[in-house]
Amino acid sequence: MTAGVRKALPAEESRTELRAGSMERFHRLGVPTARDESWRYTNLRSLDTGRFAETLGAPAGPVSARSWLDPEALLPTIVVVNGHLVAGAGLQWLPPEIESFKISRLKDLSHKESEDIECRFPAFSDAERHRFALLNSALSPDTLHVQVLGAAAAPLLIVHLTVGGRPEAAAHPRVLIEAAPGARATVIEHHIAEPEAAAAAAALCNSVTRITLAAGAAIDHYRLFSTAPDATHFDTLEVRQAGDSCCRQFTAALGGGLVRTTLEARLEAPGASLDSRALLVGHESRHVDCVALAVHAAPHTLSRQTARAIASGESRVIFNSTARVEAGARGAESQQSFRGLLMSPRAEIDSRPQLEIHADEVKCAHGATTGRLDPDMLFYLLSRGIDPATAQSLLVYAFLADVLGAVPLPEARRAIENALISQLPDSQLLRKFR
Amino acid sequence: MLTIADLSARVAGKAILNGLDLAIGAGEVHAIMGPNGSGKSTLAQVLAGRADYEVTGGTVSFDGRDLLAMPPEERARAGLFLGFQYPVEIPGVNNVYLLKAALNAKRKAAGEPEVDAYEFLALIKEKMKFMNMSEGFLTRGVNEGFSGGEKKRNEILQMLVLEPKLAILDETDSGLDIDALKVVSKGVNSLRDAKRAILLVTHYQRLLDYVVPDRVHVLSGGRIVKSGDKALALELERRGYDWLTESRVA
Repeated sequence: MTAGVRKALPAEESRTELRAGSMERFHRLGVPTARDESWRYTNLRSLDTGRFAETLGAPAGPVSARSWLDPEALLPTIVVVNGHLVAGAGLQWLPPEIESFKISRLKDLSHKESEDIECRFPAFSDAERHRFALLNSALSPDTLHVQVLGAAAAPLLIVHLTVGGRPEAAAHPRVLIEAAPGARATVIEHHIAEPEAAAAAAALCNSVTRITLAAGAAIDHYRLFSTAPDATHFDTLEVRQAGDSCCRQFTAALGGGLVRTTLEARLEAPGASLDSRALLVGHESRHVDCVALAVHAAPHTLSRQTARAIASGESRVIFNSTARVEAGARGAESQQSFRGLLMSPRAEIDSRPQLEIHADEVKCAHGATTGRLDPDMLFYLLSRGIDPATAQSLLVYAFLADVLGAVPLPEARRAIENALISQLPDSQLLRKFR
Repeated sequence: MLTIADLSARVAGKAILNGLDLAIGAGEVHAIMGPNGSGKSTLAQVLAGRADYEVTGGTVSFDGRDLLAMPPEERARAGLFLGFQYPVEIPGVNNVYLLKAALNAKRKAAGEPEVDAYEFLALIKEKMKFMNMSEGFLTRGVNEGFSGGEKKRNEILQMLVLEPKLAILDETDSGLDIDALKVVSKGVNSLRDAKRAILLVTHYQRLLDYVVPDRVHVLSGGRIVKSGDKALALELERRGYDWLTESRVA
């Protein structure tokens, strides 16, 4: 397989050390197997690795890519198709003058400039965990570079779409986000489903986003996956945080066949804080594998990881979170909370909250529970005349409220709720009473 | 209104009700008293249709219908209301959603249109005022963070909104201070009329000072062992239950 991948490297780019180096490492490590600790629950044997032999090209014409997060098209939006930055609804790929943002694509910059930018986002060291990120480094056709320079009023929406999925090709979108000292912004990445008419083969997407927050910066980052039921998605998100920076990260898996998400955050100076929330919805035969690691590399850093998972049908949801407190990071605080809800006897939820503590005077807490709907709650609702299907969906909705309620952007919260409700059993009453 | 004949039921394999007979007519208030473990709460749960309470014999007719053949939500829509002894907290489900959904489910079953949103809010506010409840209740999850007394008040509020034909109140008085007891009793009394029936399940006589029953029954060993009027409750208060359970053995 890896020979095929090597072939895919465009000749003129293979001289880029970064790319060649990444490729070489991926080649050495190979595709993860069940023996790799963080891949224990996701078997890639059925993945056709021949699909990494080619990278999907840019679409010929403009593409209609509308996110249900923003049905009125009110937000400044960038459309990324197959990892290429293309013209969306407008004529230019980049909407004019987005306040407080400076946005470029590395393809338009000189080789030196783009390499300088890439070097400001060094990959994390844990290669096993970031296997697919290596592949993205080697094969991504372009990189979106987003600089946040001040306090941005409107959120930036990045809509990702994989189209024209030929059986032998994959998409490798790549986004680098850099927040200047004291800058604040919301960036939403939404991986949407390919319009049905265009679906030639199941989509395979391997996306990478890297975010650096300078001192005092605050970034709300959302990544939403609502891809088609046969789509496979590997997503790697890496966050580096300087002192007193604050990152609120929200991940929602609401679609796709196989969705593997990774979040790794390094809190590198005192006062850095991470609040990550995940909403993992297993539906039909979907497989969702969510890996999160918060590394406390400095004293007085704070991380909170919260996830709610729900699995129906024959779906499987895995949540694997770790808080690592490195030596010397005294006064670090971390919390991990996971709750899983099983909606069918054939569904499965696995959770592994872990702590690795190499420092003294730290406060770390974790908890994980998985179960079925509380029969007392269900009976209470039935005894008030609510039909069983509605009672069930009300309770599911309530179960997810902790995570949903924390979505800071009301429009996004509402859109996510709508998407979620459509995957719950009979929810007419819910729609009405929300 | 309600006719229970020779009702037997078990919970987790253990027989709790053993041939219970009881008839409640429209306009009547009955009280069921009895020692702990006599089957009072089991009777309430069985009537409301809790699935893990297994009926092993007997019949229950409610308003001419076979109650035991109906699933719990249908019983509620037909006008049966259970006020829970321990109302469950459901964070994330708003009190008002629940009330509105419950009322509309009942109206739909009766072939009536859904309640108008503004009328509904006005209705809730009026009933809340009647029950001395604060407006903060409107935005909270069902029973979320409520004190014991607030939960019981909420049960009565739901009852007032749903206007059931038969209200079964399972130890609604337990854990209430005297002021809360008065408010709850006021709520129950306001629902009393010639078309409705109320079954009070209680441990203590004091509720019956405020909601005066037409009949009082003593439950022991899963059966009614004595029935009488309000005077029986006073006698139980004085003498306890032993004289009844002993005489049954003798």
